[in-house]
Amino acid sequence: MDRRDFFKAVGRIAAGPPAALAAGTARAATGSAHHWAMVVDIRQCIGCQACTIACIMENRPPENEFRTIVSTYEVAEGGRVDSYMLPRLCNHCDDPPCVPVCPVGATFKAADGEVLIDADRCVGCGYCVQACPYDARFLNAETGTADKCTFCAHRLEAGLLPACVETCVGNARVFGDLADPHSEVSRMLAEHQGEVRVLKPEQNTHPNVFYIGLDPRFQGRVDGAPTLWRPTPERA
Amino acid sequence: MTSRRNVLKAGVAVGGAAAFGVGFSETGEHVVENLFGAKKTNGVVGRSLAPEMRVDAKGGLALNPAQRVSYTMCMGCTTQCGVRVRIDTATETVVRVAGNPYSPMSTDPQLPMTASVRESFISLSRYDEEGLAGRSTACGRGNAVLENMISPHRVTVPLKRIGPRNSGRWQPVSFEQLVKEVVEGGDLFGEGHVKGLREIRSFEPIDPAQPELGPRANRLAIEVSADDGRNALVKRFLMEGFGSINMTGHGSYCGGAFRAGAGAVFGDTKAMPHAKPDYQNAEFILFIGTAPAQAGNPFKRQGMLLAKARTTGKLDYVVVDPVLGNSDNMATKHRGRWVPIKPGTDAALVLGMIRWMIDENRIDAKFLGQPNLKVAKTAGEAAWSNATHLVVAEPGHPRHGAFLRASDIGLPVAPADRYKEKDAFVVIDAASGNPVAHDAATGPAALYVERTLPVGGAQVKVASSLSLLAANARMHTVEEYSAICGVPADTIVGLAREFTSHGKKAAADTHGGAMSGSGFEAAFAIVMLNTLVGNLNVKGGTFVNGGGFPAYGGPRYRLASFEGAIAPKGVPIGRNVPYEKTSEFRRKQAAGKPYPAEAPWYPIQPPLSTEWWATVLSGYPYGLDALILFGSNPVYGIPGLRPMAEKLLNDPRKLQLLISVDPFINESNTYADYIVPEAAMYESWGFVSPWADVPTKTMITRWPVVTPKTAKTADGEPVCGDMFVIALAKALDLPGFGKDAIKGADGRSYPLDRPEDWWFRAAANMAFLGQPVGDATDDDIALSGVSRLMPALRATLPEEELRKVACLYSRGGRHQPGNQGWTPEGVAAWPFEKPLNVWHETLALAKSAITGKNHSGAPIWIEPSFADGSTVTRHYPEKDWPLLLVSQKSVLQGSRSIPSRRLRNLHPDNPVAVHRQDADALGIRSGDAIRVSTPAGSVTGVAIVRDGIARGVVAIEHGYGHWEFGARTHVIGGKEMPHDPNIAAGVSQNDLGILDPTRKWPAVYVDPITGTAARQGLPARVERA
Repeated sequence: MDRRDFFKAVGRIAAGPPAALAAGTARAATGSAHHWAMVVDIRQCIGCQACTIACIMENRPPENEFRTIVSTYEVAEGGRVDSYMLPRLCNHCDDPPCVPVCPVGATFKAADGEVLIDADRCVGCGYCVQACPYDARFLNAETGTADKCTFCAHRLEAGLLPACVETCVGNARVFGDLADPHSEVSRMLAEHQGEVRVLKPEQNTHPNVFYIGLDPRFQGRVDGAPTLWRPTPERA
Repeated sequence: MTSRRNVLKAGVAVGGAAAFGVGFSETGEHVVENLFGAKKTNGVVGRSLAPEMRVDAKGGLALNPAQRVSYTMCMGCTTQCGVRVRIDTATETVVRVAGNPYSPMSTDPQLPMTASVRESFISLSRYDEEGLAGRSTACGRGNAVLENMISPHRVTVPLKRIGPRNSGRWQPVSFEQLVKEVVEGGDLFGEGHVKGLREIRSFEPIDPAQPELGPRANRLAIEVSADDGRNALVKRFLMEGFGSINMTGHGSYCGGAFRAGAGAVFGDTKAMPHAKPDYQNAEFILFIGTAPAQAGNPFKRQGMLLAKARTTGKLDYVVVDPVLGNSDNMATKHRGRWVPIKPGTDAALVLGMIRWMIDENRIDAKFLGQPNLKVAKTAGEAAWSNATHLVVAEPGHPRHGAFLRASDIGLPVAPADRYKEKDAFVVIDAASGNPVAHDAATGPAALYVERTLPVGGAQVKVASSLSLLAANARMHTVEEYSAICGVPADTIVGLAREFTSHGKKAAADTHGGAMSGSGFEAAFAIVMLNTLVGNLNVKGGTFVNGGGFPAYGGPRYRLASFEGAIAPKGVPIGRNVPYEKTSEFRRKQAAGKPYPAEAPWYPIQPPLSTEWWATVLSGYPYGLDALILFGSNPVYGIPGLRPMAEKLLNDPRKLQLLISVDPFINESNTYADYIVPEAAMYESWGFVSPWADVPTKTMITRWPVVTPKTAKTADGEPVCGDMFVIALAKALDLPGFGKDAIKGADGRSYPLDRPEDWWFRAAANMAFLGQPVGDATDDDIALSGVSRLMPALRATLPEEELRKVACLYSRGGRHQPGNQGWTPEGVAAWPFEKPLNVWHETLALAKSAITGKNHSGAPIWIEPSFADGSTVTRHYPEKDWPLLLVSQKSVLQGSRSIPSRRLRNLHPDNPVAVHRQDADALGIRSGDAIRVSTPAGSVTGVAIVRDGIARGVVAIEHGYGHWEFGARTHVIGGKEMPHDPNIAAGVSQNDLGILDPTRKWPAVYVDPITGTAARQGLPARVERA
């Protein structure tokens, strides 16, 4: 996902509660072990990028490629200027557009809800990278295979939290199991019903990354100016 | 996700395999290859690290035997958080860093010490969702700076320069040779005789005609960086062992003006106590010259508390800053607001607020009216002030500006006690209207007093401290203050109204943004706001840090004192003592013109590294023979210093010996004669207490959780700064080091031959202080990696101390339980019982050594000025310099984090921020190359056009524009070392720092009262390059 891509149309506001809430409930009923989800309370994000760096250190993507990042904006309107932060990562959609386009079945929806890539099968065709409406995927220049956030599946499996969640200074990233009605993520989605939004709801991907405090104008492509990381002309 | 392949080509370290040379550590790439094998990924996990542990559904814990996790301290910035460090045991490489759940710097609330290490690990996991509530974090920089340890540019062997200074040519030498040459001197570089430390250590006077300067031993000085927890050992060497008075840190070019302003309010500008807001209970916080979540100390804890308070708590806040940063977040629906201001004018804004608060009677009269601690406590106050104390306000009176004393109004005071502590202050009793000794008052005193009283047979004008503050504030109208600072008058009043609408649950805070030519008055005024609402040590207000657990006084070992310890004497080279006590003053006074002195003096201040350079370059009042930079980098850090330092350091005759202890070749030690490779980050020792904003006591133990990568001494010990001072001291036969140097409480003597001798005994003191900590279990020791320390611990400490010291290291320190910071009544557990100063007598009695004029004892608006009192705009008028340049703290980059490659990937450089309207007028667009100029020179950077910056301001984020740390090639042992142009990316604002044109000798522009660096509001202009 390149920040210079955030320059187009403004997204539309989602109507009604997120569809994945219902999906989570359904899943619990069918007895699946987990339904992993992340709730990002943007109000608590301080844009420190601890998540971004922790992900890099944990998952070792090639230099200059990122599985997650916090887009940081400056918003000028009505005589006011504000900062705005938006943590971005793979949405682990319940209807992931990246899965059906994979010609070799390397990208799949795991039983606990993560969208994963079996790199041993991936041929690096890049269809999934094109298909993802969130620009959440990239072709790993070192492995030649598609790459993206796994919700730190290797840590979940070990009973641990994703690296980005563990180190979120503002406690903005909350991770857990929607199949468990008592989990923190379930509680937050219930408490903030009506205010919870997802990115690009019109795509009907049914993300498992939910946001509290997501300004509707940031749900889609953002017409804004990044306040950090302006590439220098030599680098551009 | 975000592909930044556009940067990839430039991201590869130039030099490649040549990195495996002498002196530098192996490359990061090499280590990563070792760790993770072939680049081909496997399955869904790819190249992600194997988890360090496994916690099953029942909460059972199993560690990955190929890794270990230890609790220690981060050194990514001066906040110095408690962290957990994950190590790959096969390569002894740190692979990840997050927070230590026992440390309040990283967790809120922290785990109690009684929780086992096993429990602490489980508390971080998914088990029962414990890891969400018990989250313990590292910030972005804290996650990244482990890469400093594996940087290909790191120095790992002792180096001696060959060729002229700064030629970039070095010869690896043994540690023993380095110590011998430094101590004995000689013709070390083929440039003639160099005095060694043995020769410098003389107790003959520097100048018999000026005995107050002290002994020649003062001609050795040490500049440390922040106190990274080792200052006690360095001080033992330099001050108490060697006998020099010249030791300083980086405070004068960090947030020194804030510290001095807070020190003035707290009545101690040397030790400089200060308070910070209680984020968890405040209803309104006003930040001026500091921006939580952007910077500050403790950066991460404040960010964590701010995020919570504005989302689920009661907090509203305003950040007054020339530049919008991360403090604000639109998602909070304007719980936080940004108010832009003209740089260097914060004092005007705040004095406007103070004027309105006084005029509208919106101050806490009940708090301010308490004349002493006892009646204040009876009245239910947690602190008190000298607002009602009377000051001699008679112009020309010999005690003008001093407090009126009981003896002045005829109360009985022993002659020997006159004007000393036992000579009480005087207040006007509110009930009777009579003057009484402040400590004899039994009720409130009059707040506003302007009258005469008979003193020594004459009627003398007196005024209360608060009346004097009011008079200062009323020197301008709110509208005038508004015109000065660029903040609309109704905003000034609005801020004052809001600040005074929450009782004591409002707080004001400031920090490094106060580093302007009017910085001291700004900080003094901002901290005064807290006094005016009486919020100190009350929940929701401000509070003084709980502090640490003193490690050096006892109860097991007397490390703070030793036989033969020297009390260093003389004038420090920062001139932070009264000029009026010098021979020069007496000589000039006798000649009828005591002022100006040859250079400014700063009697209220602690040591000042900003002024050291002017001193050494001019030799006034005396120069140095040798300087040791202990992890500090003043040439990069002090605005405007670079050209001065180049002149000084290129000439070995001006400073014969320059030694550095550092893991890198930085912008300062590139001039060094010798570099001692420092144990970096998680390889080193130290004890650190939080700087501020933690209500409970806590002390972090830093220890080598991985084997240092530095060379070994002949005895097989890793070379590091601790080893260096011990070796120097032993070679010089200084008291306090070597055999029998440490006295135990048991009456026996112990050696100080290696770092462990010091740190383990200090740890024993901490462990046994008060109610001793519990014993570490075998499980604690095994899980926390402390088992690696056990052989050395057993060799050093008696059996009964082992498990208690191991308990500290296993938990990364000693931490008071989180619920003990406040009493049930909502008062901070660690009281501050001295009066808060509305009038600061020491300041009022101090004079500028240049103008001979007294300072005001209360905050006052003074336009940013040079040492002779002339305003900066007089020398550099707006027509030539239409913009004001400021430095902005970076969320990610710090002064020494540039070696971290992944951090550079994420944030490669620092575009120069220009306001949209200014940019339009200058024809500048984002991405354009622009030249930023000040009277000191120009730099060329890349513009970013912003709305989030005050009109007329140019902002440069700190941490870029390096020219060392690997930005250029050095030749070590004939081998060319790698360099990386990405390390040089961006620009450094300090390259644009200006000199004071009114000084007799070259000196950087500083706040005239405190001598602290002025970097905010430099006269500037910008044009397309």
